[in-house]
Amino acid sequence: MNVGTAHSEVNPNTRVMNSRGMWLAYLLGIGLLHVILLSIPFVSVSVVWTLTNLIHNMCMYLLLHTVKGTPFETPDQGKARLLTHWEQMDYGVQFTASRKFLTITPIILYILTSFYTKYDGVHFIINTFSLLSVLIPKMPQLHGVRLFGINKY
Amino acid sequence: MTESAANKEADGDTCHRVKPGRNGTVRNRQYRQPKSCCLDEAKVHQKTCNGGLYGRPFIESFEETPMLLAVLTYMGYGILTVFGYLRDFLREWKIEKCHIAREREEQRDFVPLYQDFENFYTRNLYMRIRDGWNRPICSVPGAKMDLVERVSHDYNWTFSYTGRAVKDVVNMGSYNYLGFAENAGPCTNAAAAVTLKCGVGVCSTRQEMGNLDRHEELEKLTARFLGVEAAMAFGMGFATNSMNIPALTGKGCLILSDELNHASLVLGARLSGSTIRVFKHNNMQSLEKLLRDAIVHGQPRTHRPWKKILILVEGIYSMEGSIVRLPEILALKKKYKAYLYLDEAHSIGALGANGRGVLDYFGLDPSDVDIMMGTFTKSFGAAGGYIGGRKELIDYLRCHSHSAVYATSMSAPVVEQIITSMKCIMGEDGTTIGKKRIRQLAENTTYFRTRLQELGFIIYGNKDSPVIPMMLYLPAKIGAFVREMLKRNIGVVVVGFPATPIIESRARFCISAAHTKETLDMVMHWHFTRLARHLKTSRPSERAEALDISSPPAPCDLAPSLSCVFIAVC
Repeated sequence: MNVGTAHSEVNPNTRVMNSRGMWLAYLLGIGLLHVILLSIPFVSVSVVWTLTNLIHNMCMYLLLHTVKGTPFETPDQGKARLLTHWEQMDYGVQFTASRKFLTITPIILYILTSFYTKYDGVHFIINTFSLLSVLIPKMPQLHGVRLFGINKY
Repeated sequence: MTESAANKEADGDTCHRVKPGRNGTVRNRQYRQPKSCCLDEAKVHQKTCNGGLYGRPFIESFEETPMLLAVLTYMGYGILTVFGYLRDFLREWKIEKCHIAREREEQRDFVPLYQDFENFYTRNLYMRIRDGWNRPICSVPGAKMDLVERVSHDYNWTFSYTGRAVKDVVNMGSYNYLGFAENAGPCTNAAAAVTLKCGVGVCSTRQEMGNLDRHEELEKLTARFLGVEAAMAFGMGFATNSMNIPALTGKGCLILSDELNHASLVLGARLSGSTIRVFKHNNMQSLEKLLRDAIVHGQPRTHRPWKKILILVEGIYSMEGSIVRLPEILALKKKYKAYLYLDEAHSIGALGANGRGVLDYFGLDPSDVDIMMGTFTKSFGAAGGYIGGRKELIDYLRCHSHSAVYATSMSAPVVEQIITSMKCIMGEDGTTIGKKRIRQLAENTTYFRTRLQELGFIIYGNKDSPVIPMMLYLPAKIGAFVREMLKRNIGVVVVGFPATPIIESRARFCISAAHTKETLDMVMHWHFTRLARHLKTSRPSERAEALDISSPPAPCDLAPSLSCVFIAVC
């Protein structure tokens, strides 16, 4: 669809999270997931919240920290091919508004989940590990770091 | 803080602390006359009669995406992505036939030749609606054209021609602003006569043997047309930019380029080796901030002063339909002693009372702009580009431009077409055809824009620009719109992500002087009102129904919405 002009924006992926309505769409997506899980008849509220937390964190880890590169060709000769979406956001500038938002949302979801699971021990351990799996890759010290060579190329 | 079209006209901070709403006016001249708007949505439309800097009201609108549509657009892309992964999985496990180029079995252990993921968008999104682009035509692209009919039996992976042609498709996509894309008339006759005399091609560069007397006449005529001292013509519009900017700037120079500049300008700037800084689209605060920073701090490491500062802007931006804020740029340029390169690819011939471009439109002096560049492709019905300016500049370019030294010069019939059409526009051929066409284009533009806004569609751009982007937003609507339009014998151009921001997919109409009012009426009343219900926009749809329009019995109205759903699923 590259009709006519080319932007000076070499990688549109960097601006996607800043676009209008993206944050709202993301929150609505979490809400939708939760409502779908709530509609399953024989699971309790605690399990539903834990499942919401787990699925949300798993999807976030997959989409933001596993998938690398861009789904379209960019004119920057592949600078972003080995970068995950989180690393591509805002061209690597840390602590922008979108990054803060995407860091805070799993934390708030975790707090809500802890409340609704009545601080049960097993749920706590599962949710905490899940939260850590999503928070640790977001740290600026881990920008571009691939542990044990996993997901390097 | 999220970005959107309205936020882009804000403070020149390139970081993320953009303040919404403020128009980018030059800081010193803060006269903003009270908005005596008889237009509704006053906070979106902004009139700037900036203390006498502008001779006429500058009205442009870039309405923000409605939140509901933005969320639905993301959902649409999300669903398409999920289905894309599903289809990739099916292809991987050979459940579905794979049409794309793949590695051979023996090469599996080597470094991969293709990045599968980079092709994701093309094979899962673009291929679904690919029949809306690159449609072959078999007539001259005037106000109406003939399309070659083609069908696809494997969901757009391959096309086969039925042998028929779709006749008399209204052409809303060609850059045919003054209607010179015709195959009969004085321009064609002159071009045919010159072909018999001078041949088809020149086969040599300007500096060796390719300099015909017609080239010299063309350049003198272009200089007279623009009101500059001298001009030089090149064979390709793209090459005019990409080959001449490197001749003008080099290392140690600074190029300030608009955000939405065309690929040719971007390429020329990169080839030159200068430092490039990008300012927000048409935002004078951003430009002034960059200029001040550049002059105060100088070159990055050494802090030496820049050798040259060149501002690259276009007359009309074809993706947004916006007109450059030229009076303010000229004021800035004079204040900070920078040079201005104005690319009038779309605005020459299309703007201004005499068709002389954006300078004529604003009533400014051509000697203020250092380098005036333009193309002959859009309004003159030919091909090629020109650069106009002072005589020293053009003499320099004749020696140092890559095009002059290495590229073939323009062929004689093309030159003749330009000469004849330019004389027609100037009125020197003794008729008033040129004047009539310029007036017709302005009338068509105003009519089409106001009617589209009344019908409730969201239109981007300046009130006077003949390029009209109409927002579609959802990915499925891109495909549905172009197919429905073709069923109704109207040919349009649509653009989506990644050429535009993700929530701003659009259909782009290019108005021509060759369109008659009846054609535009037919396009709008019979077809757009029907589609207005499905292309929900910011205004309430009751405005469309309130219009008393009698329409012929129509094909199934559910077709667009159903096709939206089908496109996502199949």
